[in-house]
Amino acid sequence: MRSVSVIGIGETKMGRFPDKSLRDLIQEAGEKAILDAGIERGDIKALYMSNFNAQFLCGQGHIGPLACEALGLGNIPALRVEGACASGSLAFRQALIAVASGLYDVVLVGGVEKMTHRSTEVVTEGIASAADIALEAGLGATFPSLFAMIANRYFHEYGNVRDEMALCAVQNHDNALLNPDAQLHKKITLEQVKNGVRIADPLTVFDCSLVSDGAAFLVLAATDLARAVSRKRVVEVIGCGQAGDTLTLASKRSLTTFDATLHAAAKAYAMAGINPADVGFAEVHDCFTITQLINIEDLGFFQKGKGALAIAQGKTAAKGSIPINLSGGLKAKGHPIGATGLSQIFEVVTQLRGDAGGRQAGNAEIGLTHNIGGTAATCVVNIFRGR
Amino acid sequence: MSRRGTVETYTVVHSGSEAFKDQTPYLLAVVKEDGRKRLALIEGYTESTEIRIGMEVEIVTGDGKDNSVYRFI
Repeated sequence: MRSVSVIGIGETKMGRFPDKSLRDLIQEAGEKAILDAGIERGDIKALYMSNFNAQFLCGQGHIGPLACEALGLGNIPALRVEGACASGSLAFRQALIAVASGLYDVVLVGGVEKMTHRSTEVVTEGIASAADIALEAGLGATFPSLFAMIANRYFHEYGNVRDEMALCAVQNHDNALLNPDAQLHKKITLEQVKNGVRIADPLTVFDCSLVSDGAAFLVLAATDLARAVSRKRVVEVIGCGQAGDTLTLASKRSLTTFDATLHAAAKAYAMAGINPADVGFAEVHDCFTITQLINIEDLGFFQKGKGALAIAQGKTAAKGSIPINLSGGLKAKGHPIGATGLSQIFEVVTQLRGDAGGRQAGNAEIGLTHNIGGTAATCVVNIFRGR
Repeated sequence: MSRRGTVETYTVVHSGSEAFKDQTPYLLAVVKEDGRKRLALIEGYTESTEIRIGMEVEIVTGDGKDNSVYRFI
């Protein structure tokens, strides 16, 4: 397998865009990525698209050719990958494997989602289809309710971490203030989070990630070629691990440790030849505040049960020892589901290039992305190094 | 003796999906019975209900929902 690098990145601002179609979002982010890479359209030999639920939310399937047409990519192979909220990272991984194998030298990978034109109930139902439709959604389970049960179990096993959960939301909102692509530029307080509208106890609306429209694209190239083509710092993919777990929450070995994260992270660290302590900053999947807390433990940044203390001590804040979600995360940057995993990589590449402006990480040599689907039934961990 | 399970974790749902929005608030739990965990609805929740992890609940039979509904004992 040969080394692969990211040479182009592009994303839309995340938010509510009633006047922009899926095609518009694809064009905006895709063109940015191609321009950023400095390549010709004809250099792109395949397109990997991520989308979770346009068939339900927009009535649109067959996203591969839609994106191919929108970006003028001719007759290259195009396909769509779906793995709930991890769809973007799954598409990235397929693109990575294709270039690493030598099949293609340059490929485009993109993700898109359009959600905000539907009512909260319809969006909730659409997202619930990423759970078991008979055993979970059919009983009235929503994603907030599944993660609320994870939070209550965590409290039972490790102590009440309500304040530290809320602090994740506060910190992510603070970070988003410095990200022009973020959906929300709004400072919030601990009390606002805890006293917000109740969604599923103990989660309030401020513990939940956003409903968003948006798209993100990346150009991947063989590293040898990347060095010759790119005018920017080449960002090499040094680790990639994917793992799975049962679809249903109740069937998982643990409700407070995500086994899929443990396995995906172990594979990614082994491939990269690094330890968690070598990671300078990370974008982790904060679909809910409790998820961010569990993730920073499962990724090995902190011991199990000690994540809350680390958050309270500011270790995961922008100026901490391992800044988490400098982009603002799913909570404040936004969560256009199919684009999310790729937007996480967009942020890491931006940081590793030193282009993050006011939110620039102090230690920007190695960055990590962590993306889960469902109640961590799918997980992808990626590790990147600036060259 | 009725079939009984133990509450592993729970939540009170205040914002439901389209099909359940008229039933809020309702109580969902992971219930462990004979070593097997499953998601379950627990009937009879009110604002004054006290619920805690480890408490026992009993199965509601004949509900047509494959025994995934329990009630307080």
